[in-house]
Amino acid sequence: MTKSEFAFIALPISALVAPSTFAVQYLTVDQAQRAIFPGKSLTAAPAKLAPAQRKAIEQASGVRVLHDEQQVWRVSGGGWFIVDEVVGKHEFITYAVGLNANGSVKQIEVMDYRETYGGEIRNENWRAQFVGKTSQSPLKLDRDIKNISGATLSCRHITDGVKRLLAFYEIALKRS
Amino acid sequence: MLCIVCMKFRLAIAVSLLICASTAQSHEAIFAWTYTTDLTPKGHGEFEQWITPRWEKEHGSYSVIDFREEFEYGITDDFQIALYLNHHYVYANDDIPVANPVHPKRRLPSVYETGGEDVHAGHNPATPFGSYHFESVSFESIYRLLSPYKAPIGLALYFEPSVGDQESELEWKILLQKNWLEDRLVWALNVNYELEFEKEEEGEWERDGVFEWFTGISYRFIRNWSAGLEFWNHHEFADATVHEHSAYFIGPTIHYGGQRWWASIGFLRQLPTGQAFNQDNKEFAAHDGYIFGDEHEEYYVRLKVGFNF
Repeated sequence: MTKSEFAFIALPISALVAPSTFAVQYLTVDQAQRAIFPGKSLTAAPAKLAPAQRKAIEQASGVRVLHDEQQVWRVSGGGWFIVDEVVGKHEFITYAVGLNANGSVKQIEVMDYRETYGGEIRNENWRAQFVGKTSQSPLKLDRDIKNISGATLSCRHITDGVKRLLAFYEIALKRS
Repeated sequence: MLCIVCMKFRLAIAVSLLICASTAQSHEAIFAWTYTTDLTPKGHGEFEQWITPRWEKEHGSYSVIDFREEFEYGITDDFQIALYLNHHYVYANDDIPVANPVHPKRRLPSVYETGGEDVHAGHNPATPFGSYHFESVSFESIYRLLSPYKAPIGLALYFEPSVGDQESELEWKILLQKNWLEDRLVWALNVNYELEFEKEEEGEWERDGVFEWFTGISYRFIRNWSAGLEFWNHHEFADATVHEHSAYFIGPTIHYGGQRWWASIGFLRQLPTGQAFNQDNKEFAAHDGYIFGDEHEEYYVRLKVGFNF
């Protein structure tokens, strides 16, 4: 291969290897807290999972726990606010889950989403499917949660994430 | 004159890639050679630019740069069609063994001439050959039966006819995909069969068959970036029935996926474990365990860039 041919290949590659990350934050933690629990006061109560708890959550939900530390807030008058992240097609998806005092889902909010397709997971109708779900709910794509065209991976990972957080509530939060 | 046109053409492609790379946001095909079962969603489209340099044979000089521009469209979430253009630039000089005029099935020791699959019929083999050629237009359709995100394994069927002035072909593929570790570790396998119809000097069409399989494994090691390994095994059948050879290739692949564009680059090197099964291939293609002749080169690089819309 000649030098000019190598230059021809190297030129566009050099432009590709230094891409800028496209970061979009739809909601800050404070905004997500106010969206899910308007008018309530929240107190940070970060949780660190013991190995046995981690294992119990994985067994109960069938979903792998990626982080031992979980960002949790206790809500005045009962309830919990949890910020979590799941793997997206290319980047992590950050989302928040509000739980009622009885451990059922009050609301979920997508805080960061950077994927090509499937921005519809931020739509109220898709998120509303999670309202009232408990650790006893199936939380399976195409069963009790509808899929979104072109965003199957994101939909499945958010669904798995909520299932894992409901198991986390049962095992780590319920009796605290 | 021809070289100036080629240089301008290559410069235009490079500049267009640079412009697109610097203005587009960030998205996907995590392998350079192996297909996954991921498709363009319903109502969405994608433009892909492929550039594949391949070079080095047994002797002399042989280098080709294949170009492909592809337009994909999702008819449904599980059915995608695509139209693409295939063209290439080739330079060859003293790259293939010369047949013994007394025994045409045997080669003359240490004597070479200019030839190969991409050298035009009728070219004087005693002189170097350099030319750009528009090869063919292809139509691709992929139907996904199982999604790897919902079923234990992804499965899709692929069909592609291509029509060109020197060669036309029909290609079928079975695509398999299995994901692990929250879909960050991806394995894919493609089993392909291809019928090629090549135009001969006398105006006749020669039929060849190709059976090949590609496999790759890739891991998303940090956000947006995946890296992996690909393997390719190619079997050629003269007249689609006589097994001529089997060649093996392996190499790394790296992928960047962003929100609106993605890029993958892969390198394959032929392994010295090829096998020639008929006398022609043993004499003219096989060399120290490599398969060259009209079919293969030692090194392959492929850059794919995709833009979603």
